[in-house]
Amino acid sequence: MIKKAFANMSEYIPHERKLTIKVVYYGPALSGKTTNLMQLHTLLQPQRKGELMVLETRDDRTLFFDMLPIGLRSESGLELRLKLYTVPGQVQHDSTRKAVLARVDGVIFVADSQPAQQDNNANAFDNLADNLQKVGIDIENLPLVVQFNKRDAPGAVGEGELQSRWSDTPWSPLCMAAAINGEGVVESYRVLLERLYPVLDREFQLAEVEHISADAFVRQLSRVG
Amino acid sequence: MRNFDDDPALAELLAPERQQDLLRLLQGVTGHRFALSDQPQADAETVEFNLDGVAWLSCAADPQLQAPTARLIEFILTYVGKYRLAANLHHDIAEASFAELQRQHAALQDSEARYRQLSEQLQAQVAAQVKVIEQTQQELYESARLRAIGQLAAGVAHEINNPIGFISSNLRVAEDYVKEIKQGIAGDSAFNALIEDFQALLKESASGTQRIASIVSDLKTFSNIDQADFISCDLNDLLHTSCHLLQAEFSHMLDIELQLGNIGSISGYPAKLSQVFFNVLDNAAKAVEGKGRIRVISRQGAAGHPEVVIEDNGCGISTASLERIFDPFFTTRPVGSGTGLGLTVARETMMAHQGEISIRSREGIGTRVTLKFG
Ligand SMILES: Nc1nc2c(ncn2[C@@H]2O[C@H](COP(=O)(O)OP(=O)(O)OP(=O)(O)O)[C@@H](O)[C@H]2O)c(=O)[nH]1
Ligand SMILES: [Mg+2]
Repeated sequence: MIKKAFANMSEYIPHERKLTIKVVYYGPALSGKTTNLMQLHTLLQPQRKGELMVLETRDDRTLFFDMLPIGLRSESGLELRLKLYTVPGQVQHDSTRKAVLARVDGVIFVADSQPAQQDNNANAFDNLADNLQKVGIDIENLPLVVQFNKRDAPGAVGEGELQSRWSDTPWSPLCMAAAINGEGVVESYRVLLERLYPVLDREFQLAEVEHISADAFVRQLSRVG
Repeated sequence: MRNFDDDPALAELLAPERQQDLLRLLQGVTGHRFALSDQPQADAETVEFNLDGVAWLSCAADPQLQAPTARLIEFILTYVGKYRLAANLHHDIAEASFAELQRQHAALQDSEARYRQLSEQLQAQVAAQVKVIEQTQQELYESARLRAIGQLAAGVAHEINNPIGFISSNLRVAEDYVKEIKQGIAGDSAFNALIEDFQALLKESASGTQRIASIVSDLKTFSNIDQADFISCDLNDLLHTSCHLLQAEFSHMLDIELQLGNIGSISGYPAKLSQVFFNVLDNAAKAVEGKGRIRVISRQGAAGHPEVVIEDNGCGISTASLERIFDPFFTTRPVGSGTGLGLTVARETMMAHQGEISIRSREGIGTRVTLKFG
């Protein structure tokens, strides 16, 4: 088995020809991470889709994590496995967040659009940066999408203001979503797949060896209906 | 180490005994024997967990049962797996927390040791500072006392200077008058004896005033010394001169041994320093009473600072007297033979030169005075 020198999970098991990729939904408490995953479970029709594992909750708040496995077998015979996780957003579950974040390949940061939640968004993003550093991952080189959820909420901070606030960061433009209505969920997920592909391609020669193009990668893993 | 999110193998989800329990239960329900393998088997139904094939189920008696039974096992494995994942995550977190706790504990012990060391250092520093403060206080007290005495002495000296001036000039005139009167009554033997007595009285009075004048001058030295007057002084030169003066005073009868080293020069007030040397040498000369010997040593002392040692093998000083030796007006000699200011002045002068004076003495053995310059 090939052991990789850096901290990401994406792991290729040669004798099974299996490549496992880990994506984590991160963000402040109640921002809609679990809702994103539930919507993906409903909306996506990829080649293979596992059960949504909702591990443990109290009053609908995630205590451990949720996980949705998605599978794809390429024509070259490569088993692609995408594991989508959520973390608990509540401040006190930081060690759980850190454990789930270990060896992550891509992150979707789910922020809350309501004005009162802007501080929580910032704190959670700092916490993400901190924990990435602790598990040995460089945030600058990590495929990362920032989604502002709950666009439907009354008084949501204007999109123009949010976009310009983030315009100087590597994560601009932002994705907008109303996960509760299934809006923007698949779109955010696709943007992440687009940012993930070049990293994986560089390491596993997806295009050259496996004949999986960027377009095919995104399209097949995010097929709907 | 395995991570909580690694795909579990069949044995990690269900231990072999539990697998046997499960097969027995299936047999009880269906009446057929099942076999479960963790390796792919031909004609067997794959049992999946999270999209991965983890087991292969076969029922030779009735292959139709394989598919629905595999789904049943998958259903069971989902809940077993949830528990497994949660337990593994919990284990990972507990281990990470414990490692972090140990790291913090080590850091805490480290910092505790540092603080203990720091506190010990601080305690030592405080003790040292307290000592310095106590010493400074003592010195301050002493110098305040000396300053008060000095001011008193300066006042007294100033007040005495004037009358002493006219008394001694009056005495000189009186001596002249008496001389003339003696000539005028030449031969009158009845008055002759009186006149001669009178002359002796005047002479004694004159020498008395002289002594008062010299006490006044000592008092003035004692009460003021000003660093503004400092120039470069060759201590060995000053010692030479002081010894000469002393020899003159004692009719060249003293046995003085000079061991003058190469000590360079210091910045100071030569007249006052000479007086210090002279005062100390004068004490030594009086202690040996013409029988002993005086040794004068100059050398480079500790830290390269010059020091002068004047020692004698004379009568020495009693312990009781030694305690008061620097007190103003303290003297062991008969009244009239000294002011009792010699060593007080010497100490003031040494202090004004950032120096110090110390005395060791044993009665009947001798005395050593050490003058250290700063
Ligand atoms: N109005 C609105 N509510 C939403 C939206 N998305 C999620 N919610 C609601 O927000 C609440 C929290 O959603 P979750 O998905 O459980 O949030 P979470 O981020 O998983 O929360 P934690 O597990 O505690 O970290 C739920 O009541 C959702 O119905 C949205 O787009 N709009
Ligand atoms: Mg949740």
